[in-house]
Amino acid sequence: MKHGRFRFLVGALLPALVLHGVFVLSPYAQAFYLSLTDWTGVAGEANFVGAGNFARLGGDSLFLDAVRNNAVMLAVVPLVTIALGLFLASMLHLGGKDGRRPIAGAKGYQIVYFFPQLLSLVMIAVLWMFVYNPNTGLLNGALRAVGLDGLARSWLAEPSLALPAVMAVLVWSSVGFYMVLFSAAIDAIPRELYEAALLDGANNWAMFRRVTLPLVRDTVQVAFVYLGIGALDGFAVAQIMTVGPGGPDGATEVMGLTLWRTAFTFGKFGYASAMGVALFFAALTLAVLALRAGRKERIELA
Amino acid sequence: MNPSPSAKTYPRRRTILKALATTPLLSACVTSGNDDQPSSPTGAKSSQNPLGVKEDAPLEVVIFKGGYGDDYARKAEDLYKQRYPKATIDHKGIQKVGEALQPRFVANTPPDVVDNTGAGRLDLATLVGAKQLADLAELLDAPSFDDPNTKVRDTLLPGVVEDGTFDKQVLTLNFTYTVWGVWYSKSLFAGKGWTYPKTWDEMLALCATIKGAGIAPWTYQGKYPEYMNDPLLTMAAKTGGMDLVKAVDNLEPNAWKADGLKAAAEAFAELAAKGYIMAGSEALSHTESQAAWCQGKAAFIPCGSWLESEQKDVTPKGFDMVMGAVPSRTSGDKLSGAGVQATSSESFIVPAKAKNVAGGQEYLRILFSKQSARSFAETAGTLPAVAGATDGLTLSSGLGSVRDAVTAAGRDAFTYRFRTWYAPLAKAVDDATGELINKRATAAEWADRVQKAADAVAKDSSVKKYTR
Amino acid sequence: MRRALPHVAMLCWGVVTAFPLLWAVLSSFKTDQQILTDPWSLPTDPQFGNWARAWGEANIGRYLLNSLIVVGGALVLTMLLGSLVAYALARYEFLGNRLIYYVFVSAMFFPVFLALVPLFFVVRQLGLLDTYQGLILVYAAYAVPFTVFFLHSFFRTLPSEVAEAAFLDGCSHGAVFFRVMLPMARPGLVAVGIFNFLGLWNQYLLPMVLNTDPDRYVLVQGLANLSVSQGYRSDWSGLFAGLTIAMLPVLIAYVAFQRHIRAGMTAGAVK
Repeated sequence: MKHGRFRFLVGALLPALVLHGVFVLSPYAQAFYLSLTDWTGVAGEANFVGAGNFARLGGDSLFLDAVRNNAVMLAVVPLVTIALGLFLASMLHLGGKDGRRPIAGAKGYQIVYFFPQLLSLVMIAVLWMFVYNPNTGLLNGALRAVGLDGLARSWLAEPSLALPAVMAVLVWSSVGFYMVLFSAAIDAIPRELYEAALLDGANNWAMFRRVTLPLVRDTVQVAFVYLGIGALDGFAVAQIMTVGPGGPDGATEVMGLTLWRTAFTFGKFGYASAMGVALFFAALTLAVLALRAGRKERIELA
Repeated sequence: MNPSPSAKTYPRRRTILKALATTPLLSACVTSGNDDQPSSPTGAKSSQNPLGVKEDAPLEVVIFKGGYGDDYARKAEDLYKQRYPKATIDHKGIQKVGEALQPRFVANTPPDVVDNTGAGRLDLATLVGAKQLADLAELLDAPSFDDPNTKVRDTLLPGVVEDGTFDKQVLTLNFTYTVWGVWYSKSLFAGKGWTYPKTWDEMLALCATIKGAGIAPWTYQGKYPEYMNDPLLTMAAKTGGMDLVKAVDNLEPNAWKADGLKAAAEAFAELAAKGYIMAGSEALSHTESQAAWCQGKAAFIPCGSWLESEQKDVTPKGFDMVMGAVPSRTSGDKLSGAGVQATSSESFIVPAKAKNVAGGQEYLRILFSKQSARSFAETAGTLPAVAGATDGLTLSSGLGSVRDAVTAAGRDAFTYRFRTWYAPLAKAVDDATGELINKRATAAEWADRVQKAADAVAKDSSVKKYTR
Repeated sequence: MRRALPHVAMLCWGVVTAFPLLWAVLSSFKTDQQILTDPWSLPTDPQFGNWARAWGEANIGRYLLNSLIVVGGALVLTMLLGSLVAYALARYEFLGNRLIYYVFVSAMFFPVFLALVPLFFVVRQLGLLDTYQGLILVYAAYAVPFTVFFLHSFFRTLPSEVAEAAFLDGCSHGAVFFRVMLPMARPGLVAVGIFNFLGLWNQYLLPMVLNTDPDRYVLVQGLANLSVSQGYRSDWSGLFAGLTIAMLPVLIAYVAFQRHIRAGMTAGAVK
């Protein structure tokens, strides 16, 4: 069997490894090299400038704006999305005589909630641009229709509102998916656990904390990783919707946008690569922390 | 080669090291752009074929398909085809020229002629710096397509050759002549008895009247604050004259703190402070704000001469849009009140490493003929950069006003160059102006910010510098 | 009261979710003037011309087909390679196992922007620029890491008794994988397949750089293009019609298949 085992492993791993090496690892490796040069993106000499590009990052106010905004998004978007998703998934299961079954129409709700997940962020951004339009948009129109004219705002043009407005779109686009995912996880929790908790006199909140939350923890963790990656991006939404784009005055600048502009508008591919490398280390650090935390929890549970 | 000591502690370190180890080999494919290509084919030169086009060489034309469409370019292709029936022409009309072509320039497989225009265009300075553009001198000195006795050079409007000159070489040829100003509806103004102001004081007085009539005096393309830069910088140039413009473009110390610029910034800050800008403008895209203006929600909007054709489908009948020159700020202005910012644009380039350089230049010779330019003016509603192309044509209200503005401005037509030379500075000015006209920055803060950005560009040794 | 609360909460989010979409559909039947002056009105005189314009000028039909080809091909390849790698790493102990796992999984956290320009060269050197095959390979390469990450833990939790019995019966390693383990992993495969499908379907950075031929545009590129040309031509109604045309098939397919999708997600959530 030993020989067959080796052959199988090679056959299973090699094609994927080749694909990975050619299309994923090698471009990243080249980008690392480029980040040490002043390459302008057009064929020609790329001069080695060492760490010069990295030294400039600290004084680049747009890049710093982008780092700050991505950090805010990373802190807010996954948390709010997961909280809303969990809340709605729990609400969905407060039906039936014992209050532990899916409510009437649960399936219909899940179908509708899932819709935004099916649309690309490009489409969503275009759509929300019209929603946020200060004069003819849906949002201000709705506020004015119910007499809340005072709350109508220039959502994407006020520095304090623009980033929350962008984050709201990201949350809107993903809540439904995670709600359906969590709902599936809750469905799989044995009913006896709830019944036991009920006998202990637990209320809904206590049952959520003591039964639901621990048992959907794995799913929540996957959700955090996935949403975290999304929050480090935000390029499509910022690029299409915001003033500038990335404004007003850097209020919605995200790293992808800075990198893109630096490369394709300013023609500084070396410097843009340095931004990408910095972003790479930021993401790597976060991922390591997340995986470490995950492993620790699993050990504790075991 | 270890990129960062902190990476050492992580399990993925080996991945990174492995990646770095393979770097030199692979990076060779990215930056080895100097491989000599076989020079592009040529045919015999003649009076019919002064540039020596190889008759059967295929021609690839990439056109920015924006407000003007790309039919005019196809018409010129038809003429090319008539002259060289053996040539096949590959036409592409696209929007994001930079995205589509940047990779092809890097790969040394650029098309033969490119209309490098639109928000997503290729950065010209970069292309110039990398010697990616063919010198057009031979084309300029060739006889024009319509008249063998006139050189192409002499058929172009003033400024066109200069606009395409980089370090004494003409590398781009701009097809349209764009003029910036402040637009209004002639019929609305006639109906209300308003006259377009010649000075800024008159402007403010008129704005008060307009606001009293229940109309917002100004709106602007808030999503892109650069639209508001144009009247601001025009006003400053009128006050300070060409010395101010050149100081700005040459990145001279404290150029942005000149009196003319400060006064202009104050003027536009005042416009905002007095509530003369339509509420919500700051979040509107160019199409949205221009549509609001066409609906009569605002009286003035700053824009270039393309506005009329851009608004063709949403302009009400009898609106009669016309463009006025930016009012003068002081009576001691160095340029006349009729002065306008004008520049040729829609830059056509012939990539140096194209497969058919001669064909690309010949295509431009045909495109810049009176015949092509005239048919462009008829459909595109924009002045072509070819002198006399609109003579005898009955122009629409907007285009007529643009032609008149060019005539009235005479020599006082000028342009700033920093936008094309230093893209990062342009971005900084846009952001600062957005803050200024939304009352989040004072004129002094505006000048400080922009000066700081200009100084940063001046200090940056990696940015190629230009002077004028 | 206690009964009503869940319904109120669900309805609220339902409205928030559905309304903008419904509004886009309605706007696709209006004229530009109606959209601009009265965004809340119902279309009085349905403008089917908007749809014709979007379909004809914007080639939405062709882009749909391109998307189906590329995403379909990439999905099959991703699932095959991803499940093989995940299974091999999850069920076999060998030197370098951990390293290979991290080589794949760490790529999930690489910002794609960083790779874009060099990636272009790699694809060009292989002569795969502007081809379906090139896009399929690149899509698959970028989707495999997540697939491995997801399925790795899934294969670990599968009981080993069945596989052991199969080995005793003389099955080869490959046969055990394809005949025994893969069917057992079906719920997980469906779940990760759905994740991958949505991710690939909506991918637009990669095609933007690697797929510049307008004839081969995938749907997202086509739409971005439409929204850009809207910027120059002021055709709001056409844009909404394009959005709706692109939106409806996916939504309808989803409603038709949602039971299977939900089953897959249940499997993914409970793995």
